[in-house]
Amino acid sequence: MATAELVLGLLSRDPAHGYDVKRGHDAWFPDGRPLAFGQVYTTLGRLERDGLVEVVDKTSGGGPDRTVYALTDKGRKHLADWLSDPVPPAWGSADEVLRKLVAAIRTGGDAAAFLARQRASHLRRIRELRETPTEDDPTSPLVREYIVAHLDADLRWLDSALEHLSEQKETRP
Amino acid sequence: MTVLELSSVEYSYRRNAALRGVSLQVQAGEVVAVTGASGCGKSTLLHCAAGILTPDAGSVQVAGQDLATLPEDERSRLRRTKVGVVLQFGQLVPDLPLIDNVALPLLLDGHERAEAHEAALEWLKQVGVADEADAVPAELSGGQAQRAAVARALVTGPSVVLADEPTGSLDSRAGQELLEVLLRASRYRGAALVVVTHDNLVAASADREIRLRDGVIQHEVAL
Repeated sequence: MATAELVLGLLSRDPAHGYDVKRGHDAWFPDGRPLAFGQVYTTLGRLERDGLVEVVDKTSGGGPDRTVYALTDKGRKHLADWLSDPVPPAWGSADEVLRKLVAAIRTGGDAAAFLARQRASHLRRIRELRETPTEDDPTSPLVREYIVAHLDADLRWLDSALEHLSEQKETRP
Repeated sequence: MTVLELSSVEYSYRRNAALRGVSLQVQAGEVVAVTGASGCGKSTLLHCAAGILTPDAGSVQVAGQDLATLPEDERSRLRRTKVGVVLQFGQLVPDLPLIDNVALPLLLDGHERAEAHEAALEWLKQVGVADEADAVPAELSGGQAQRAAVARALVTGPSVVLADEPTGSLDSRAGQELLEVLLRASRYRGAALVVVTHDNLVAASADREIRLRDGVIQHEVAL
């Protein structure tokens, strides 16, 4: 998870408080999982401890206290370094599918039916993503294409898993 | 309303069983994706539905009429007017300009040339290649040729369009555009669409997925 670096990115233009960081994150990834409030404040606390962000304003009026954070020079350098590094290939959204599939096989459940349901669920999600217009900004279509491409890759893996299960069933004595 | 019904269809190539008792119904306006690994029987299924292949057993009904019980001339007419077919490589007549390729099913059905050309031009506009109406297939890109094939499939006003890997010869962007044209054109006409595909992004556009394995339906899900 690169939440810390994303938070640095969200603060790179202007100082902001935690709520704005969360809203900014969710606007950057409209089809992704929303950033939990708890995670925002934990992340900001850790970044402050490490000297990557600093508190530039703290207001306490009639409403709740609001702490405004800004990037430090160290934080800006960290962000630039992170942006220049390619992402190492890693497991993506198929993690949970794999866990459930293995659990289904190991516990004697109907793994083929699970795969068929999962396949339908992936296909529906791809259709939703393709039918919903993207935000009118330069990055939303890229985020959308990225998710669709990964779901398509998951589907190919699901297909091969289903084929594997069918072959096993046929050859089992 | 059921526009296509296959009942216990079987088909073999010599001793290799390609379909082993497949039954399915397709409703008016429905989009059905037929998926499965290579050799699972999905193209054979489509060719039986289109009347290109005659099943060894079972029946195929198009618009309520059993293909096997019709006299040859009526069967040909039913296939020409109620079924539109789009294959992977378009299969346009090489020497004919696009407008004549698209008008051909209407001319074969006895329509006047001017009327057939007018309808063909209208469909070429629908699929976005009206500017190429006078070009022969060799002068077109793969995507343009497939668009013309879609126009030809729909020009007679079929109840069902059967498409076999329609995006299979195109790159991903051209394939996506062709898929959108095919879906839009079928909806515009109110025709059901049965699309055989190994492409998950095409299958995702369907209302229902039928997955074949070794000539039988492995699973069927609403999407």
